[in-house]
Amino acid sequence: MYNIFDNMIMGFQVATSWENLLFCFIGVLIGTLIGVLPGIGPTTGIAILIPVTFGMSATTAIITMAGVYYGAMYGGSTTSILINLPGESASVVTMLDGYQMAKKGRPGPALGMAALASFIAGTFSIIMLTLLAPPLAGYAVSFGPPEYFCLTFMGLTLVSALGGDNPLKAYISSVLGLLISCVGIDAISGVSRFTYDNMNLLDGVGFIGMAIGLFAVAEILENIEEPIKQVFSDAKLGFLNLFPSRQDWKDSFGAIWRGSFLGFFIGILPGSGATLCSFIAYAVEKKLSKHPEKFGTGVIEGVAAPEGANNAAAGGGMVPLLTLGIPSGGATAVMLGALMIHGLRPGPMLFTTNPEFVWGLIASMYIGNVLLVILNMPLIGIWVQLLKVPYKVLMPLILTIAATGIFATDNNIFDMWIMFFFGVVGYLMRKLGFPEAPMVLALVLGRMVEMSLRQSLTISHGSLSIFFTRPISGVIMVVALISLFSPLFPILWNKYKGREAAA
Amino acid sequence: MPASATFGPGPAFLPFWLAVILAIFATILFVSAWRRQATEKDHHSIFPGKTALIAITLVMVGLGVYIFLIEVLGYLSDTFLFIVFLMKAVEREKWPLTLMVAVCTTALLFFTFQFLLKITLPSNMFGF
Repeated sequence: MYNIFDNMIMGFQVATSWENLLFCFIGVLIGTLIGVLPGIGPTTGIAILIPVTFGMSATTAIITMAGVYYGAMYGGSTTSILINLPGESASVVTMLDGYQMAKKGRPGPALGMAALASFIAGTFSIIMLTLLAPPLAGYAVSFGPPEYFCLTFMGLTLVSALGGDNPLKAYISSVLGLLISCVGIDAISGVSRFTYDNMNLLDGVGFIGMAIGLFAVAEILENIEEPIKQVFSDAKLGFLNLFPSRQDWKDSFGAIWRGSFLGFFIGILPGSGATLCSFIAYAVEKKLSKHPEKFGTGVIEGVAAPEGANNAAAGGGMVPLLTLGIPSGGATAVMLGALMIHGLRPGPMLFTTNPEFVWGLIASMYIGNVLLVILNMPLIGIWVQLLKVPYKVLMPLILTIAATGIFATDNNIFDMWIMFFFGVVGYLMRKLGFPEAPMVLALVLGRMVEMSLRQSLTISHGSLSIFFTRPISGVIMVVALISLFSPLFPILWNKYKGREAAA
Repeated sequence: MPASATFGPGPAFLPFWLAVILAIFATILFVSAWRRQATEKDHHSIFPGKTALIAITLVMVGLGVYIFLIEVLGYLSDTFLFIVFLMKAVEREKWPLTLMVAVCTTALLFFTFQFLLKITLPSNMFGF
């Protein structure tokens, strides 16, 4: 029997060591910074940080990276509210009402509510993570190769089906990612595949090089093409102006809780990601509201709900990552890749083999959330000043950090060429509307997909029925197939409607 | 299923089926793009105008040259020159800001990676 209370005490002992506290602080600080600065998102930030976290222990490294992830959710709202420019994609919806509030002379309460809603929802989601993760992990220990294949398959189909405008292009992107993961020595037979006698490829295509190329370099190229406009806000932000009024609290109380629940439970699903959660929370709030027509004109619920949801989703996304080893989106996929490089295999066994790692991370998230409120409330003026740093100064900095970091991971120039190659690929993919998150996810999960698929088929002597006859894998497989074909439903529905109308 | 089913699928199993799936997806994409009506967006090229294209090409050529020369010039001089190139050729900044950014960034990176993270960065034949 595990004991959550004992585990939490151990977790806090790990998280409050000076090193972990310091890096938790650095993580959330960088996260806020990345969230505030448009043109660099959390996934890019985490990808660039992987090499820097190499010298640390795995626990410290993941504490830092998780800090960046949820820290960015806080920071992103600042620019959305003040200058109508989202710092990252999960804060796009916050613009709708946040910027209107700022325009009406109430930027303070909007920012304050964003930070406090983030805090409440973030803490809620960590409590849920604390309570839900251990039983889920205990349950998942019994999973065999068929279950793992179904889970990874579901992760890929969900990411692709939910992640973008064109699911077909997302599927193509994930199939390409799986193909890239086949490069290198085959783990079962020891045959080298697609290496073209290049020694550097025996170990597969470097994950860090690919992630940084697809996210960081491609993002830079995109920003060069369309320079980010620099807008300054002249809003006066005193510390006391930041606190929402009693009426504001009354208005957004329900919104925060609904946002927290939605964000957490949708955030658990692989593929959902924080952006989708914030959109759903806003839509639900609008539907439930007594005055839906006021949404978009600066109502505080419209800030509280999505900000709560995207923070809760950051916590929710840690559930499948820690218990099953399946990331929920681009940012957690990059974290998973980083953990594997640190020699940890995220999955149910993590709770028994590395309890200090899991509980240290969870405890650090409680601490990080408190740090973030402190960072965001009194210091918000400083973050606003930071927006004056021009992108042309940041661009060389981001590019050289990325390049140096990649070299630093393996002392190998070849990885830099991988970054170069995937930078070009990523830019073209963005231009042509192919999402890059499924590709990175597929590369990270590729080995697991292939191993579990081939092991399952070996067990079943080649029969695919093994995925359907085992109860757990059967259920997951059905969900995966539904999500795989879900893009077809609206098309078929329209056809059916059209035929009915014609008859 | 291949004939070797009793021994489990071999190393070519997944790549083969992935290629088949990819071909199917590509065909669907191609056919659906062929059949649908052209929209307003389709009349514009997805690629940026000449100035932006030149800037993007410059960045990538610069990055390629940077990677190529890093073991020849050494980390310090190569990074410094790369940033100067980015600021001057791509961003068209004035010299004072260019030099300031180049010196600060190079120093910051060198300090972080070489001293804090203890990573041996490439050096040139003169040892820096």
